[in-house]
Amino acid sequence: MQCDEVRPRLDAYIDDELAEAERAQLRDHFVDCPECGPEATALERLRDGIRQSAPSYRAPEALRSQIRFALRQEAATSARATRPAPGWLAYAASIMLAVAVGSGGTLLITAERHEDAVANELIDSHLRSLLGNHLTDVASSDQHTVKPWFAGRSDVSPPAVDLAVEGFPLVGGRLDLIAGKPVPALVYRRREHVINVFVLPASRSDLGVNLTRRGYSLRHWDEGDLGFWAVTDAAPTELAEFERVFRAATNG
Amino acid sequence: MAWIAERRRRSRFESVVLPHLDAAYALARWLTRNDADAADVVQEAVLRAFRYFDTYREGDAKSWILRIVRRTCYSWLERNRPADIVPLDEEGMLDESVASVPVAAANTEALLHNRSDLRRLDVLIEALPAPLREVIVLRELNELGYREIAEITGVPIGTVMSRLHRARSALRRTWEGKDIGDAM
Repeated sequence: MQCDEVRPRLDAYIDDELAEAERAQLRDHFVDCPECGPEATALERLRDGIRQSAPSYRAPEALRSQIRFALRQEAATSARATRPAPGWLAYAASIMLAVAVGSGGTLLITAERHEDAVANELIDSHLRSLLGNHLTDVASSDQHTVKPWFAGRSDVSPPAVDLAVEGFPLVGGRLDLIAGKPVPALVYRRREHVINVFVLPASRSDLGVNLTRRGYSLRHWDEGDLGFWAVTDAAPTELAEFERVFRAATNG
Repeated sequence: MAWIAERRRRSRFESVVLPHLDAAYALARWLTRNDADAADVVQEAVLRAFRYFDTYREGDAKSWILRIVRRTCYSWLERNRPADIVPLDEEGMLDESVASVPVAAANTEALLHNRSDLRRLDVLIEALPAPLREVIVLRELNELGYREIAEITGVPIGTVMSRLHRARSALRRTWEGKDIGDAM
């Protein structure tokens, strides 16, 4: 093989796209040719350089969770479009709740979805916070550190009170993406358990929620114009206790 | 009931597509050159894929989703940043075309802030025109073969090869300092 045949094959050579017979011919050529061998080496150096210097982008967790959420909504919409509504809806409304993104971008709680999308979404967020090392974006038990951190990062300003005395120390705060909106989460500990409190605009319904899904406890209450959603892997009774002390502390 | 079928369809879709979300995001990130835009595009693409899931046949899920992500990227860029889509000049034969490769897209200057950037391959890749950038990303970073790249980008394998060659030549010219001398 001559240089003019080798050159057009150099890329395929380093990309391992040549048949073995052809590879061998190129290798033979490199032995004799003072230019083609170094040219192949230069291409390999470029490849190494690219692999070393290029950032390896990974889908952010928030995107992953947002996509799951969007898929659920999409699936719910197309399922609703194909089924006769009344009987099923009435049944669904009695046990489930879901979130609908209103025109103003606020989250409205409606009791008409067949899937408890909020609960699942929040439990997913809770789970993610326990994996890896993204429990908090701001780690502090000081409310004067945690509360200002949220300013400008989200629409709502959560009351970050430390409840260490009551047995629920404040660990910090975090911003999650839920239904495409940044949602503040306050992070508390109960012994070895974590309690995430997601703070959304109030649902303006009197719906108090207290449910268990997939082994996680979830409680929801409104306070003023804020809606609180507490999720934990601790026992439901402990979460009830948490709600009580949290509301006492934030109402005072 | 419809919702049960729908839920089953969704979880099958998630198990097929979500394992490739990092690759999807990386491709979108390289093509849009921006985190937020990449996230928007990937979400749009995944939802689009979900709607067309019935057309997916068992096979290479990664190529399938990357093809949709890529197409979504381009239509997103057309809508939002048409200047970013610089059409390549006529696809030439392998070696003849090299001399005419534009070293970078129209906004190279904005991307290359200073001379030291000329040594940074990630910056140089970002400055490549999209059709060259994507083959480099798919080949060197996703480590895909020519056939898969051809399938994802919707061009013949010969075109993949010539674009790859042009991309590498463009990168090397700057990176190896042939354009700027060796002063650093």
